[in-house]
Amino acid sequence: MNPAGVAAEAELARQLLRVRIGQLLINERLKAGEIKVPVHLALGHEAIAVAVAAAMRDGDSLLLTHRNIHYNLARAERFAAELDELLLKPSGVAQGELGSMNMANPAAGIVYTSSILGNSLCVGAGVALASLLNADDSVTFLVTGDGGMEEGAFYEALEFLKSYNLPAVVVLENNEWSMATRIEERRCPIDLASLASAFAVPHQRLGSNDVFEYLPALHGARQRARERRTPVIVEVALKTLGDRWMKPDGGDEKYINYHHGVAHGEAVESWPALRATQEDPVYVLGGRIGEDRLRAWAQEVRDSLAKGAG
Amino acid sequence: MSYISDVNQLLRAKVRASRKLVCFGQNITAGSCLGGLTRGLEAGTASLVLNTPNSENTLVGVGFGLMLRGVSGIFFMKQLDFLLLGMDQLVNSYNIVRRRQLSSSFTMMCVVVDSGYEGPQSRLNTLGDFSSMANVPAYTITNLHDARSVIDRHLVAPGCRIIAVSQRLFRDESLRFDREPEVHGDSSLLRYGSGERATIACFNFAFRQGCELVEAFRGHGESATLFSVNATLVPEWSPILEDAQRTGCLIILDDSRSTNRLSHQLRLAAARRIPAARVIVRERAARDEDLRPHPDVFAVGTEGILKEVLSS
Repeated sequence: MNPAGVAAEAELARQLLRVRIGQLLINERLKAGEIKVPVHLALGHEAIAVAVAAAMRDGDSLLLTHRNIHYNLARAERFAAELDELLLKPSGVAQGELGSMNMANPAAGIVYTSSILGNSLCVGAGVALASLLNADDSVTFLVTGDGGMEEGAFYEALEFLKSYNLPAVVVLENNEWSMATRIEERRCPIDLASLASAFAVPHQRLGSNDVFEYLPALHGARQRARERRTPVIVEVALKTLGDRWMKPDGGDEKYINYHHGVAHGEAVESWPALRATQEDPVYVLGGRIGEDRLRAWAQEVRDSLAKGAG
Repeated sequence: MSYISDVNQLLRAKVRASRKLVCFGQNITAGSCLGGLTRGLEAGTASLVLNTPNSENTLVGVGFGLMLRGVSGIFFMKQLDFLLLGMDQLVNSYNIVRRRQLSSSFTMMCVVVDSGYEGPQSRLNTLGDFSSMANVPAYTITNLHDARSVIDRHLVAPGCRIIAVSQRLFRDESLRFDREPEVHGDSSLLRYGSGERATIACFNFAFRQGCELVEAFRGHGESATLFSVNATLVPEWSPILEDAQRTGCLIILDDSRSTNRLSHQLRLAAARRIPAARVIVRERAARDEDLRPHPDVFAVGTEGILKEVLSS
C-alpha cells in the first residue's frame, strides 16, 4: 500500500476507535446518572458508521434514527459537542435543543434525525428529490434498521426514490432486535435482496464488521447511486453489544438485550475490544492492524478525548 | 366563475411565478386534476410538477425533506382524510423541522370532503383537528377574497401550513363582494362590512351561511357585521369581540363536526370579555347519519336566528 493509503487506513482506524471510546465515555456518564435523555448506544455498530461518514462527500446528506450516536460521533468534529448535547448544554452540537433521539448536525451533513421508526426515510426522499432541483451531485444516505423496515414508510420511501430515480444509499442495520424481541419472535423473515430486486434496486449485504472492507463498499454504493440515478440498499448484519445475563434474586438467569440507556456490562477500562469475536468491529480491526498498534492508537484516542481535543 | 375556478386561477398564477418549487400529489395533472383544483399547473423556474404514487406518509415527509434542502413544496391532496396517513410526519417531523429558521416553504393543500355523499369520510370535516396536534397553521378558503389573501400570503411563504378548500362549494358560483374585506392578522380573520344589529362569525366552511344571514337581516331592514375566521390558530379575537360589544349580539356559525372546535375559544373569550352580549350558536354534532351517504347541508335556521335577535 502506498503512504497515502497507509495514512488513510490509520485515519479510518483512529475514527473507529474514537467512535467506540466516545461511546464508552458516554456510557460512564450514563452510569453516573448525568445524562437524562434516552441514549441508544451503538456499541458494535462502529464499522458501518465510520464507513458511511468517510464515504460522504460535501453536499451529501445523512438522515438518522433514534440510534444515531455512532454516526453523529463519526461525523462530528468535536466529541465534547456531542457529549454536551446529551447533557442538554448550550455548547451541544444542537445547542442542547435536540438531545439524543433527534440529534442532528446539519453542518456535518446530518440534516435530520427522527426517533420515529421509518420517519426519516420519508423526509430523506424529499432531501433526495431536492438534489434534482438544486442540480447538484449529492447523494442522500438514509439509515434504518430491521425494525424500521417493518414500517410502511420503508416501502413508500423506496417506491418514491425509485420512481423518480433519486440517488440515495439506504443503509439498513440489521441487529435482529426491536427492543426486546428478535425478528423470529415478531414477524416472518423478509428477504431484503428479493425485495430490492422487486423494486429493481441494487442490494448489497455486508457482515464482516471490517471497516477497511466497508469503506470501499460504501464508496461503490455511493457511486452506483449517483451514476445510475437510483437508490441502493446496503444491508449490514451486526450485533448491538451491551447485552448481558442477569440473575434476579431468587430467579433464573435471564438474557437482557441492550436497547438503550446504560450498557451495564461494558466499561471504558475494558477497551479496546469488548468481545473477542467478529461481532466486535474493534476486535476485527485488531486483526487487521495488530494488537500493539490497536492498543497504542486506542490510548492516543482516549487521551485526546479526555483532553477535549478529539 | 365557480369557486374552484377562482382558486385554480390564483394557484396557477402563484405557482408559475415561483422558483424552486415542487408541486406534487396524486393525479394532479391527470383526469379531473382533483376536480379542477390543480388543472393547468405549470412549473416555474427550476420547478417541477409531479404526479406521485399513493403514499401520503412519505409525501408529507417529502415536503419537509425538500424544505431542509432549500426547495419549496406543495402537496395537493384530493381528500383531507388522506392526511390522516401522514400524521406522523405532520406532527413529529414538523416539530423537528420547525425549530430551524428555513426560508423554504411547505404547503399541504387539501380538499375537505364535505358534500356528504362520501359517507364516513364526510364526517371528518374539521381542518382544526389536523392543525391542533402540532400547532400547524391552517387556513380555509371560502370565496375569491379569502382565496386571494390566503394564497398570496401563505402558499409559498417560508414555513409550513395547511390550506383547505371545501368540496361542497366546488361548483357554486364564486362569492364576490364590491369592497375588499378587512384582513386581520395573517389572514386569520376577514371582516366583510359593518352592521348594527349583530356580529356574525363564521368558522370552518360556514361562510355562505353567514352571507345568507346577512342578506336575511337586510331583508328586514337591518344590518350585521360579517367575519370569516379563516385560520385555525387565531391569536387574537379582539376584532370580533369589539364589534360584538358594539352590536350586543354575537352569532357563531360553525359547520365543524369535531368536538375540537375553534369557535369554542371565541365563546369562552366572549363569556369573559363581553358577558353582557347575547351569544347565539349554531354548530353541528357528530351524528350517526353522517356515517351514511347523504346530502350534507348545514342548515342554520336563518328565520329562527332573526326572530331571536329582532325580538330583543
